[in-house]
Amino acid sequence: MAAIIADNIISPLGSTTGANYRAVKAGKTALRPYNNVSGIPFPFTAALFSEEQKEEFTTGGLTLFESLAVTSIRKALEGCQIPLDSRTCLVISSTKQNIGMLTTEGTPAENVLYPGRSAGRIARAIGVTTTPIIVCNACISGVSALILGNRLIEMQEYDHVIVCGIDLQSPFIISGFHSLKALSDAPCRPFDLERTGLNLGEAAATVILGRETGPDRWNITGAAVRNDAFHISSPSPKGEGCRMVIQDALGEEGTEGLALINAHGTATLYNDQMEARAIAQAGLADIPTNALKGYYGHTMGAAGILETIITLHAVEDGTVIGTKGYEELGVSGNLNIIRDNTPTTKTSFLKLISGFGGCNAAILLTSQPPLGGEKSQCPTLNVRHHIVITPQSVQIDGEITDTGQQKGMALLTYLYKTYIQDYPKFYKMDALARLGFVATELLIRKEREARGKEQEAEDRRAVIFFGQSSSIHADKEFLASIADPGNFFPSPAAFVYTLPNIVNGEVAIRNNCHGETAFYILPHKDDNIMRMTSQATMLDSYHKSIITGWLDYKSEEDFLAELRIEN
Amino acid sequence: MEELILELKEQIIEVLNLEELTPEDIDPKAPLFGAGGLGLDSIDALELIVLLEKRYGIRLASAAEGKGIFTSVENIAQYVSQHRKK
Repeated sequence: MAAIIADNIISPLGSTTGANYRAVKAGKTALRPYNNVSGIPFPFTAALFSEEQKEEFTTGGLTLFESLAVTSIRKALEGCQIPLDSRTCLVISSTKQNIGMLTTEGTPAENVLYPGRSAGRIARAIGVTTTPIIVCNACISGVSALILGNRLIEMQEYDHVIVCGIDLQSPFIISGFHSLKALSDAPCRPFDLERTGLNLGEAAATVILGRETGPDRWNITGAAVRNDAFHISSPSPKGEGCRMVIQDALGEEGTEGLALINAHGTATLYNDQMEARAIAQAGLADIPTNALKGYYGHTMGAAGILETIITLHAVEDGTVIGTKGYEELGVSGNLNIIRDNTPTTKTSFLKLISGFGGCNAAILLTSQPPLGGEKSQCPTLNVRHHIVITPQSVQIDGEITDTGQQKGMALLTYLYKTYIQDYPKFYKMDALARLGFVATELLIRKEREARGKEQEAEDRRAVIFFGQSSSIHADKEFLASIADPGNFFPSPAAFVYTLPNIVNGEVAIRNNCHGETAFYILPHKDDNIMRMTSQATMLDSYHKSIITGWLDYKSEEDFLAELRIEN
Repeated sequence: MEELILELKEQIIEVLNLEELTPEDIDPKAPLFGAGGLGLDSIDALELIVLLEKRYGIRLASAAEGKGIFTSVENIAQYVSQHRKK
């Protein structure tokens, strides 16, 4: 159990948590209509920083993304005294980092495109000396990052974890969501009958986690990440993964102390309906539920952290914030959606979030924690099988496997045609997903051979990957579909694969894995961080085994899958 | 119409990366989505919307609108021949 010891929000509504909370409580919204924006040939509604704000945050030598992160982290650090030594870690939650700088007019320097290098510059600017970790887990990144920080403290790997969630908008992201028909051109209406889609938003939000737990703090007392294993971009209609995270984050805790459920509530038809089913099936339809997208839009990597901060300050203030944009219930399950600000005397809340790649996450925060807080015992993990795939070679459990003398992408296709064959979706995947898919297929084949009939439940398996090139290859492919204004046809399929954690979703779907899925970006391959993060995942006793390791696709000549099955 | 059906089959194979299929494998009357057909999914439907706009100048407002059109290749051909702008 870790505690939140300081926080900050920078959004179009203000540069401090206080300013943001007051604005939200007063019913203000950052959403504005936009028209004739360069590179975006359609009108849209979004919550974007003004040019003046951008100028205010920009620091010399850093990109806007990096400057904004540094500013938010510095403001949060002002609220507490923590040493920036080997016992402090930086975790960045972001889905697309500097992607706005990848334009059709010219490719920026590589060090801007590699998210790990960007995180390194943020760490140096604030004085953190340990290796930063980027959580790139689609829309759930923020809650995923809080859960990782909480576990690293429970394991006593660090005393403090700085968790910063941040994303900026760009023609790249806005046209991608537009191609998915997910955007509403009017302000979004979470859970409402008339909802037609989401709005995108920009923000940075930082939380400092420490082991200084107690009744005068907000403590993370429950957490879970589960995969639907249903589809890479549509939530499971039954809301199974979301129901599981609700129940597993609540654990033995009753609902008496629960002030509210702060839902994801993006205002897309499918998300809100899925969440409603999950909440109802978990037996929590009566619990007050709200969503904050009507104030900020969907701030992507910042969302899980920003919405957690606003909600905890609201509960501290004895308030459940009303769901801006909501008028009439438009989901099943007879949910208790809170329309206007409502008083509460309770002391805990549940934060929900779901995202592409089929992932769902929930955390339980409370200011009245149970006693305890001893070091969590890390499970000992044993490597059962391992695989290494390079552009020229394949080794499974140390044995060289036939490559048909193929190289690069042709090698991956050869492996598919020779050993797998029955999954034509392979051809729809981007290069990173093909690499991850083929590598896990061969690993699992090996496992089944070794085990014979003695099958173990694979549904309780986590799928955790690490890489440094993220989705750079897919990013360039998607950009090509919006490069020419006279031939502007953003590809929805190409856009979905610009989230690196889609490969985790593909593996989960193929193998019906409902355990945690996550993609972490590191500045470089770091076995210690990978081991520590995989162990952190296995602290969740739901998991029986884990597929984990390095998965990186930079180009056809330069890729590496080094994966293991452990339990 | 036969020509348009063949053209659509070729386009569908290309944009949806149906690598292992040839136009002859696709029955123009068979369902495109769900079991018993090509097994296409929601992202494929969105890609088909892009295809209609890019190649034939037909703009659909929502995925729901596509549902009634993307039932079979024959049905798409019917719709395209009536609504195409290029």
